[in-house]
Amino acid sequence: MNQAADSLLAVHASGLVKRYGQLVAVDGLDLDIPSGQFFGLLGPNGSGKTSTIHMLATLIRPSRGSARVAGHDVVHEAVKVRGAIGLVFQDSALDRTLTISENLRFAGLLYDLTPAVIRERSAELLELFGLADKSNRPVGSLSGGMRRALDIVRGMIHHPRILFLDEPTIGLDLPNRRNIWRFIERLRARTGMTVLLTTHYLEEADSCDRVAFIKSGKLVQSGPPQQLVESLGRHIVEIESRDIDSLSQRLASKLGPCLKDGEVAQFRYAEEDVTPLARLQGELGAQIKALRWRRPNLNDVFLWIAEGKI
Amino acid sequence: MPWRPVYAVLEREVVRMFRQRTRLVAAMVRPLIWLFVIGAGFGAVLGQASGLSYQQFLVPGVLGMTMLFGAMLAALTVVYDKESGVMRMLIIAPFAHYWIVIGKMLAAALAAILQALLLLIVLALLGYVGQETRPGMLVLGLTATSLACAGIGMLVAAFTRTLDNFAAIMNFVIFPVFFLSGSLYPVNQLPPLLKAVALANPYTYGVDLLKHATLGVLPSGMGADFPLALDLTVLWGFTLAALIIASWRFSQESAYEPMIHILTGKRGG
Repeated sequence: MNQAADSLLAVHASGLVKRYGQLVAVDGLDLDIPSGQFFGLLGPNGSGKTSTIHMLATLIRPSRGSARVAGHDVVHEAVKVRGAIGLVFQDSALDRTLTISENLRFAGLLYDLTPAVIRERSAELLELFGLADKSNRPVGSLSGGMRRALDIVRGMIHHPRILFLDEPTIGLDLPNRRNIWRFIERLRARTGMTVLLTTHYLEEADSCDRVAFIKSGKLVQSGPPQQLVESLGRHIVEIESRDIDSLSQRLASKLGPCLKDGEVAQFRYAEEDVTPLARLQGELGAQIKALRWRRPNLNDVFLWIAEGKI
Repeated sequence: MPWRPVYAVLEREVVRMFRQRTRLVAAMVRPLIWLFVIGAGFGAVLGQASGLSYQQFLVPGVLGMTMLFGAMLAALTVVYDKESGVMRMLIIAPFAHYWIVIGKMLAAALAAILQALLLLIVLALLGYVGQETRPGMLVLGLTATSLACAGIGMLVAAFTRTLDNFAAIMNFVIFPVFFLSGSLYPVNQLPPLLKAVALANPYTYGVDLLKHATLGVLPSGMGADFPLALDLTVLWGFTLAALIIASWRFSQESAYEPMIHILTGKRGG
C-alpha cells in the first residue's frame, strides 16, 4: 500500500489472526476503515470483536497478519499507535478512589499533557458529557451511566485521531444508553474523528457509516447499514403456528429458509408487493395463529448472519 | 524518559496513601508496637549490651520494617490496579510498558520513604533518634532500602494474579524477609543455617545500612554487621535485578495476555 492511500485509512488490517492455544479467536480478518468514518464491528459473543480491537490497539500481538492504525504498524510502532488512539474498554478504566478531575489529571499526564491543557480539556469535555458540576466527586460515588461517560472523556483527553469504543453502552439502562449516544454524536460532530464501535445493541449501529459483521473470527458481510438491511429483502414475514416445524418445511419451497424461535418462523420476502402474502394467509387459515410482515432492520441482518443462513 | 507519566504514577501513589488513613496509621503503629511491646519485653530479659538497650538496637529494624511493609503494600497495588481497571489506563498510554514497572517501583519506594520519615519524626519526638545518627547516611539508607523493598514488592506483584492470596504473601514473603534479617538480632550471632539465609536476604543489607546510619559499628557486635560498600553493592544490585526481571515479566505475552483477559473479563471474545 502506498503512503498517500495509507494516510487516508485510519485502520488497515490484512490477514489478522489471533490464536489462544487451540482457540482461533480471529481468523484472517481484512479491514479497511477510511479516516473520519463511523464504523461498527458487529457480531455475536465470542466472535472475535474484542480480540480484533485489542490487536488494533496494540494490547495483544497478532498471531499472523499485519495492521496499520493511524499509519503506524501495530507491532513495530506500538507506542506511536497508542498515542494516536483513544480506547474505551467494556469495563471501566478509572480509579474509583480518586475524583473525576484527579482521574483525568492522571490520564492526561500519562499522555504527556501539561496540567494547564488537562484542565482546559477536562472542563470542555465534562461540559459536553454533562459532568461539569461533578468534577470533585469520587468516581466510586458516580452512577453507572456517569462512569461510562467519564470513561469516554478519559479516552478523549488527548484528542485521539481514532476512538475505539468496545461495547460502550453494555450494562446501561435505556435512558443512559441514549445519553451516551447523544454525547458520542456531539463529539463526532465537533471533531470529525474516526470511531470504531463494537456493540450488541444493533439499533445503535444504525447511525454508523458502515458496519461489518464478524462470526467465528471471520468477516461475513460489510456495508452501509441501510444497504445490508435492504439486501435481506423488502419484508420479514413472521408466521406463528403450533406446528411450526412441519409448516415451515412445507413453506420452504415458496418462502425459502427461515429462522425459528418457539412457535414463530421468520422468512425473508424479496417482493414489495404483499398481496401473495395475504393470499397465503387465507390458504393456511386455521393452521396458523398469525401471519404478519414488517420491514427488516439491522437486528434481522445480525440474526440471519448469526444463524449462518446468509 | 517519559517524565510526566512517571510523575503521574508517583503523584497518584502519594494522594492515595494520604487518603487511606488507616493504611498510614497502621504503618506508624506497627513499628511502635514492636519497639514498645516486644522491644521492652525482650529488653527486660536481655538487659543492656555495652550501653545499648534492646529498644535502641531495634530502631533501625523498625525503620526498615516500615519501609518493607510500606513498599510491599504500594508495589502490590499493581495487582489491585490489574483487578480494578487502572492498569488499563497505563497499558494503553503511549510509552513502553517497562516504564509502568519503573514508575510503580519508584512510587512504592517513595511511599516507603515518606512513611519512614513520618516514623522518624515520631521516634525523634520520643527521644529514640540519638546524636550518633548520621543524616547523610540515613538518607542513603532510606533511599537504597526503600528501593530494594520496592524491588521485592514488584517481583511478587509481577508473578501474582490476584490479591486473594494476600495472606499467603504476608506469611511467605513479608514475614520471612523481616524475621530472617538483622532487624531483631545481630546477624553475626545467628546459628549457621539462619545466618546463611539472612546473608542471602537482600533486606538484611538494608537494615545493616540503617544500623550504620543510626548505631554505627559497635565493639559489642550490636551495631552494623557488614562493611558499608557491601551493603550498597547488594542493595543496588538487587534493585537493578528486580527491575529487569519484573520488566521482562511484564513484557511477556504469557504474563500479559491473561491480564488482558482479566481486564475484559472473558476469554478470546
